Amino acid sequence: MTLSTMLSTMAAGMLRTCGIFALTLIGSLPLGMVVALLRKSRSPIVRGIIRVYISVIRGTPLMLQLLVWYFGPFYLFEWSIRGWRFPALILGFIVNYAAYFAEIYRGGIESMPVGQYEAAEVLGYTKTQTFMRIILPQVIKRIMPSITNEVITLVKDTSLAFTLAYQEVFSLAKQISASQTSFMPFVIAGVFYFIANYAVQFAMERIEKALNYYR
Amino acid sequence: MILEMKNIEKHFDDLEILKGISMGVDSGEVVSIIGPSGSGKSTLLRCATFLETIDGGEILYMGKEAAHTDANGKVVYVHHKELREFRSYYGLVFQQFNLFPHYNVLQNLTDAPIEVQHRSKDEAEETAMELLRKMGIEDKAKAYPYQLSGGQQQRVAIARALAMKPEILFFDEPTSALDPELTGEVLKVIRQLADEKMTMVVVTHEMAFAKAVSNRVIFMAGGVIVEQGDPAQVFDDPKEERTKQFLRVFER
Repeated sequence: MTLSTMLSTMAAGMLRTCGIFALTLIGSLPLGMVVALLRKSRSPIVRGIIRVYISVIRGTPLMLQLLVWYFGPFYLFEWSIRGWRFPALILGFIVNYAAYFAEIYRGGIESMPVGQYEAAEVLGYTKTQTFMRIILPQVIKRIMPSITNEVITLVKDTSLAFTLAYQEVFSLAKQISASQTSFMPFVIAGVFYFIANYAVQFAMERIEKALNYYR
Repeated sequence: MILEMKNIEKHFDDLEILKGISMGVDSGEVVSIIGPSGSGKSTLLRCATFLETIDGGEILYMGKEAAHTDANGKVVYVHHKELREFRSYYGLVFQQFNLFPHYNVLQNLTDAPIEVQHRSKDEAEETAMELLRKMGIEDKAKAYPYQLSGGQQQRVAIARALAMKPEILFFDEPTSALDPELTGEVLKVIRQLADEKMTMVVVTHEMAFAKAVSNRVIFMAGGVIVEQGDPAQVFDDPKEERTKQFLRVFER
């Protein structure tokens, strides 16, 4: 296999990796906010459920969670899991990352000085207005470094999709390496992850800079 | 009467902070509240502005009841939507300014008028610029709070409260977080507002200011009003021993 065939075969995997990455962020960034807000719910039952969810997600390997999402429906309900591979994968990633993002959001929200809430309350803002206009914009600025960390981890975590034999770049690298007895696929995969994370860091730095107009 | 507070009680756990305080504020009146720290002055202001809920008593704005105590001794506030309408009657200036750091000065002054009072952007900005001129900081309209001195920030905070066109303005130790050389510029604008007959209640440690600007001085200690009256009388001829003792500390 020439280098160019190797590259073109792996390019498809790179696209799938980017797909997992993008879909996970699109799903987990907003879901994490919902989870963070539910964690502050007035109902102790809701708070309890959210707490259990977060501790289970953080306390077990993502690889195991992916297997449960994929095979769970079959073993638990004897449902057919044909065509379920990709949805299970994305669900697993979203539900996992939402838990981590929720904790980051919570930390950010709790770090806000009470004076901001009081000023908004006295000015007559509703709770929703206070959150959307006063609190959230400041929280986003505060949590950007932690979000960057998590996004970089996600780039690398996409490789766990190989557990479900999904043909993203890492799975392909393993397969091609085994069949061609070549080390090259791993080098290609490594360079790909590195460049992807370089792009993530660049983008996040730009966002952080854009938010630096105030302190 | 703009504000009436009757028999206000407030406790935090077992600690009684306010032990049945009654006070009223008439239109155009400037009332200073003085007293040692822990006397309950700030708590009284926070109760008046609904930042704290009272444990007994009544609060009325413009003769309308915002909170009362029922026959069982339970305090009942009006529904929170109605309570928000009461908030349009007053403004509060905090010790720590509490400006919104992500908004520039102009946005700090216009966001609530536009979003809460649904006034037009043009009108809100015009009102805001007028207020900034009055505060002597019209050149700072596009600046962000972190770029301003403490005195300028507090003047923005006063303007922000005034932009809502309140009937009464509360000040919670407005100069206590400022460097001594910056208190003057803030006191000057409060004095200017007093000259314009703005109704104000000022919790302060600035005795000279309280004496010069207010129509009435309330001396609080231990959760009760010990003495109140004309500033000249309270400062120069206090009747109560506790007042004398407090004022002596300041004379030194």
